[in-house]
Amino acid sequence: MSDLNLTPNPKPTPEVADELIDGHNYDGIQEYDNPIPGWWTWLFVASIVFTPIYIVWFHAPGMERDVLGQYDRAYAANLEQQFGELGDLEPNAATIMRYIDDDKWLAVGKSTFKTNCVSCHGDGGIGNSGPNLTDDHYKNVQTVEDIATVIANGAAGGAMPAWGNRLHPNAVVLTASYIASLRGTNAPGGKPAEGETIPPWTVE
Amino acid sequence: MTTHPSAAEPSPLAASQEGTAPSPPSAAAGQLESFVYDDKISRFFMVAMYVWAIVAFLVGLLAAIELPFPSVNGGIEYITFGRIRPLHTNAAIFAFAGNAVFAAVYYSTQRLCKARMWSDALSWLHFWGWQLIIVSAALTLPFGITQGKEYAELEWPIDIAIALVWAGFFGVNFFMTLVKRRERHMYVALWFYIATIVTVAILHIFNNIWVPVMSGTLIKSYPIYAGVQDAMMQWWYGHNAVAFFLTTPFLGLMYYFLPKAAERPVFSYRLSILHFWSLVFIYIWAGPHHLHYTALPQWASTLGMLFSLMLWMPSWGGMINGLLTLRGAWHKVTTDPVLKFFVVGITFYGMSTFEGPLLSIKAVNSLSHYTDWTIGHVHAGALGWNGFMGFGMMYWLAPRLFQAPLHSVKQASLHFYLATLGILVYVVSMYIAGIYQGLMWRGIDENGALAYPDFVETTRNIIPFYWFRVVGGLLYIAGALVGGWNLFMTWKARPAKYDEPVHRAPALKDVPLHEEVRPKSEMVGVLEFAKKYDVWSTMWWHRVWERMPVKFTVLVIVAVVVASLFELIPTFVIRSNVPTIATVKPYTPLELLGRDIYVAEGCYNCHSQMIRPMVAETKRYGEYSKPGEFVYDHPFQWGSRRIGPDLAREGGKQSDSWHVLHFEEPNVWSPGSIMPPYPFLMDKKADFKSIPARVNAIKLLHPGDENFDGYPTGDEAVAHAEAQALAIAENVKTQLEVEPGVEGHYINPDGEVIDLSDKQAVALIAYLQRLGTDLFATPAEEEGTVPATETPATAGSDGDDTTSNAAALLGQAQGGR
Repeated sequence: MSDLNLTPNPKPTPEVADELIDGHNYDGIQEYDNPIPGWWTWLFVASIVFTPIYIVWFHAPGMERDVLGQYDRAYAANLEQQFGELGDLEPNAATIMRYIDDDKWLAVGKSTFKTNCVSCHGDGGIGNSGPNLTDDHYKNVQTVEDIATVIANGAAGGAMPAWGNRLHPNAVVLTASYIASLRGTNAPGGKPAEGETIPPWTVE
Repeated sequence: MTTHPSAAEPSPLAASQEGTAPSPPSAAAGQLESFVYDDKISRFFMVAMYVWAIVAFLVGLLAAIELPFPSVNGGIEYITFGRIRPLHTNAAIFAFAGNAVFAAVYYSTQRLCKARMWSDALSWLHFWGWQLIIVSAALTLPFGITQGKEYAELEWPIDIAIALVWAGFFGVNFFMTLVKRRERHMYVALWFYIATIVTVAILHIFNNIWVPVMSGTLIKSYPIYAGVQDAMMQWWYGHNAVAFFLTTPFLGLMYYFLPKAAERPVFSYRLSILHFWSLVFIYIWAGPHHLHYTALPQWASTLGMLFSLMLWMPSWGGMINGLLTLRGAWHKVTTDPVLKFFVVGITFYGMSTFEGPLLSIKAVNSLSHYTDWTIGHVHAGALGWNGFMGFGMMYWLAPRLFQAPLHSVKQASLHFYLATLGILVYVVSMYIAGIYQGLMWRGIDENGALAYPDFVETTRNIIPFYWFRVVGGLLYIAGALVGGWNLFMTWKARPAKYDEPVHRAPALKDVPLHEEVRPKSEMVGVLEFAKKYDVWSTMWWHRVWERMPVKFTVLVIVAVVVASLFELIPTFVIRSNVPTIATVKPYTPLELLGRDIYVAEGCYNCHSQMIRPMVAETKRYGEYSKPGEFVYDHPFQWGSRRIGPDLAREGGKQSDSWHVLHFEEPNVWSPGSIMPPYPFLMDKKADFKSIPARVNAIKLLHPGDENFDGYPTGDEAVAHAEAQALAIAENVKTQLEVEPGVEGHYINPDGEVIDLSDKQAVALIAYLQRLGTDLFATPAEEEGTVPATETPATAGSDGDDTTSNAAALLGQAQGGR
């Protein structure tokens, strides 16, 4: 074969006994007939063999190992962790006030507040487009259970959206507890007071 | 164990040595044809590649700065992140990488075929057509003219131009050159080019089937697919754009320019064959890995993951063949900038194609998806692999195309080091930012509540890494500018007239064909099957295909189409993939208009609309998204990155007035937010006149859908939209406690009184307030579904006396407003 008279002819390094393929010469580019590395072949085969195994394992009917199955279990576990010992909380004054000094459960209310409420009420309830929740003035709240009502149903012509169908009822109560706990903290940098001064929280 | 068959063909190669000296042909004497390669076209594509590279990088730099420093856009709507990010990606992919591919294809195909391009006219139509497409992208995307699907943003007239230029000019020219070639067998680079050309054409055409909105003032279309199916089509396209626009042509480039530069034979022909076909067949399936944990059917997601894992070795086949080709030439890597770029480029290819399968594993993806990890991954691919291969090729080509020595090898090395450092800083900062933010999103504290409940908190923490990214980008650009100078100075040293050597080779018809011979297995004492396998594995059969470009192309098409149909057909025909939800109704005319504004502003570049079934996610955003919620979404807007929070259940979460305030000054009303201000939404009029055309196009896409019975059209649709807009504007006025006597609904920070009722803001708010609410809507009463523009209907949900009346006119109860 006449391949070898091509430009520029590489000199095979002595330690490699590669075999050039006859007739494979394209604009001077030649090709070796080297075998495919074994590890390449076996990893490729392994990735193919893995396919049916995974499908059967992951999607096995009734085993709930798939994405939604995993979610359902994780969701139930989280619910149990969060509210298992609480049972179903009623959004009344007694219940709301019960958690106002309970750091563990107040933290859950605070987390819910930070996720959903800070965009208007500011971090820590200092107020922004929504009213300051750290003073003694309130616009749509007279009693502590009104907080839960306002969270669930909204207020002020929709300026305060309704969260009743978005949050777990217990989350509404604990968020109300958290908000009730903010009263009187008068956080620095807070928005000027709006609405009326109302009587202190009471449990009827 | 087999003797390799010798394709014992009298070599026509001898007749076509480099240079002009005719060698004595071994066969077919007297029938030599003379030809000259068209290098001018390669020169043009190479320069275009470089110019667009700089443009793409600079736009990327601006986008990168806008994230930690949102006000840098100076309030200019045309350069908000949402509008220029598509410009950046399109410029990087189609302008920079595209022109690099064309430079490579035009230069190498002619030489591998021993033939000039079939038609100079088509070559130049291709060149100028493509540059025109790029310019038209730059003239539409900043103006919000977009289809709203990633890497397929260009609107329908440009889509048609792309199809024409790609298939009609480039494709025809390329395949006719193959037909007229003077080299019997096609080299592996050409296989990759074939796969590129046919597959990109298929992907582009099928992802861009739309209904244009018939309006004299609009360039706008809706894809015929909606929701889940649109997502499936889009990522079938998007993923394979990566495969067949950024991978296969660059592998072809590598297979030509690397052995040329290293002056070494390719490591393994058999590996070329195996990794080529496995890559082409397997890549197509992997698209759904972009949609893990979404409303996509789970079986599709599983296929996406498994085929991505199978893709690992086929991808690495290319890397191995590249790196091992350098055996015996490693000493050259230390001195030759071309090889330096190639080695790092191929290494990045290996890294990205390991990372790709890794990210496609569902558990990993649950962390990485929507984060900057993906951004790091794509830049490792685009800057590390495509960029370095393009630059390496440029340094090899420039002296040859400009017929002058490279201006400065030192500067080329400087470019290399700047680029390497830049990409490393870029990628590492994005990995850290991505993993960090992903962990914050999913963090659950000891009480089972979100550990980082405020989204802004998770953004604020990664700002430093955004600045590191800017530094990385700057280094990369600095390198590219050094390279640009080198290219320019090399060009300046060009001869007054380029030498155009004449080559000679016999036409294929004048060269006797020697059929390939099936080798005989020399194995003894084994099963017949083993012998057959032994013979098969010599790949002698592939040698036959290599001299049949038409058959080869058909086989590639079959591989690609079969794999596609296996995934796409079930997505479309199995009804259970997208269970119908009775309460999900079409958008009202105003919401539709608002949705189109959402698309035009490129909101999807920062906000996803897809809540995944994960506890941390449903706690943050609400109930996870269901497939049936998206049946009226043309296009789907699930997004791929959460620079801002998910909006799938945004409806009712904020008041109408909050949205107005927030559009005006996001950082004031959401301290720490990196969303750019959108004051122009309260200033620009909504295009109410275009509503009937939009409504008609959407209705056309839902024939026989009874949810459209009685849906307002024409002037009625406009009146309906105006009523809903007015209600929202009045709502804002009430909520902001603007004095009733004021002639307007909103007083902006400059003290201007604004009538919102005809502004873009209200249309967008109408859409946002609808998002994700249908799932919880109370099923409408029989009569309630009949739209009645004159009678304000009462709102659907309990205690919801403030819902704008018009919004409920179509009977869509708005959950929770």
